[in-house]
Amino acid sequence: MTMSPQSTNRLATAASVALEPEGTAPASKRRRRVAGRLSTHVMDNRTAYVMIAPMVVLLGMFVWWPLLYSFYLSTFEISFYEEPVFVGLQFYGYVLEDPDFWHSIGIGATYVLYTVPAIMIIAFLVASFIRTVGRKVAGLLKTTVYVPTVVSAVITSVVFVFMYRADGGLINWLIGFVGLGPFAFLSDPELALPAISVPGIWLAFGITTLIMLAGMYDIPQSYYEAAQLEGANFFQRTWFITIPLMKNVLLYLVVTATIAGMQQFELPLIMTQGGPTNSTMTPNLFIFNQFKDPTPYATSFSLTAALILFFVLGGISMLIFRLIRSDKAIDA
Amino acid sequence: MKASLGRRVATYALAALIVISTTLPLAWMLISGFKGRSEVLRTPFQFFPDVWLWQNYAAILQDPAFLQSMALTFAGALLFTLLSLVVNSIAAYAFARLDFRGKRFWWVYCITPMFIPGMAILLTSYVVVSNLGMLNTLAVLIIPGAASAVQMFFIRQFYLNTPLAIEEAALIDGAGRWRIFWSIFLPQSQGVFVVVGVGSFLAYWNAYVWPILTIQDPGLQQIMQYIAGFRSERGNEWGLLMAGSTLAALPTILLVLIFQRYIVNGVRLAGMK
Repeated sequence: MTMSPQSTNRLATAASVALEPEGTAPASKRRRRVAGRLSTHVMDNRTAYVMIAPMVVLLGMFVWWPLLYSFYLSTFEISFYEEPVFVGLQFYGYVLEDPDFWHSIGIGATYVLYTVPAIMIIAFLVASFIRTVGRKVAGLLKTTVYVPTVVSAVITSVVFVFMYRADGGLINWLIGFVGLGPFAFLSDPELALPAISVPGIWLAFGITTLIMLAGMYDIPQSYYEAAQLEGANFFQRTWFITIPLMKNVLLYLVVTATIAGMQQFELPLIMTQGGPTNSTMTPNLFIFNQFKDPTPYATSFSLTAALILFFVLGGISMLIFRLIRSDKAIDA
Repeated sequence: MKASLGRRVATYALAALIVISTTLPLAWMLISGFKGRSEVLRTPFQFFPDVWLWQNYAAILQDPAFLQSMALTFAGALLFTLLSLVVNSIAAYAFARLDFRGKRFWWVYCITPMFIPGMAILLTSYVVVSNLGMLNTLAVLIIPGAASAVQMFFIRQFYLNTPLAIEEAALIDGAGRWRIFWSIFLPQSQGVFVVVGVGSFLAYWNAYVWPILTIQDPGLQQIMQYIAGFRSERGNEWGLLMAGSTLAALPTILLVLIFQRYIVNGVRLAGMK
């Protein structure tokens, strides 16, 4: 469970981080200052501590302590016979010299390359389309594209494994109409990663569409009307109005999708177990598989690999969040 | 502006295409559940079965392990959702509305976990819960993930935008903070609670990795463990597996359909003025 709420509930994060329309910043700031003035002469230390206590304790036990413990294990050599010895960054060196680690990074990056542009383009086109249709059709489409978001990775994997079957599989039947196949998608090292990307796209494009759509609704209709009077076509309106005005939302979506993509491992875990010939061994699956090796060395090694990923991905996402929300992010 | 007939037909055709291609995997899962052993992998390929059979659905619904994992996961998800709402909403209220010493520090402490990937703490979290003797209990699924930075942030965002006047009046009347939270903020929180509550429910229902690490007792098996286990043990009974997957996905899909208005609008909630 420690993993899921942070990752699954992208709806909430996305909505709150990206969608505050830029124009409302001064208003909400003013309101906040008023709140501040009220409370400065009423310090509620005790009530406040009681109110945040459950959250503070739970995060302390199940996030901060495990994180510190991970750091400890990554810098100490543990052995069954001797006292732990501080080895500094030695494990970090081992990980960074390990070709299998770099191979998994390459697989993760390729997966991102297969999924993120596809998710962004499909979501953008669908959102642009939904924006032009009537309310009823728009409502139906919004609910429909949201449905895949709530289907679990396990069920998605199982269904796509079934659909990818070389004999009797739906996908081979469909591509048969254009004279292709049949392919044994999941046992072909060339095809397995692209094949896993398809359910990855399917799971993510819907929520991306809804977030983009919310961004599009914030653009005043009058801009488009003016552009239309000037004779601008769909592509010109998109290029000169929609994209520039949605820069922050689009950037946010690319960053979160990239980070989520680099961390994908449930799909390959269930669909291919990282195979064939490690062609779907994403970084987190590589790390997860190392966990199964109970020796202290393997434990420290895989934890260190996870921490390296954490530094890189967490650093990038924090930086981008700061850029996007600059003054709004952390001002409690 | 009046759309021409051709334009309208094109619009509906495109809308239908989006709906069909989005729901195709789910429709295929549902339909395959109705196919008998001889039809489910038949060559030449056939989309719909010749004979629609209820047997797979009936059989899976008679499997005690399936029913038990559905019921347990449902109960667990409800408890998890309730606990998350309590923990995250009171913290959100404190951060949105109260002033206290060390607020900035505790804010960073509570919000940074948003950026910590699960994998960096997965193994050590496992060590922590096993030292606490929580393995193979429902508590290990419910308690560790209940505090969520994302959800607290989202609820706080909503409370920040609640007008101040009523709260001020209540304070002047001598109402305490708990009282204000209970009688002013909670009644307004319906929409935001539905959005984050559905998020919690889904996170619990769909969880796979944490349960396979912490639950070995078959009596406590969660639904996604059951589905994945079914696939690796009885992987050739595709009709049965598709029927089970359909039923396991059903609660989450129903949840979306029931709360669709809140959820689809939830994407705009934070931007509300």
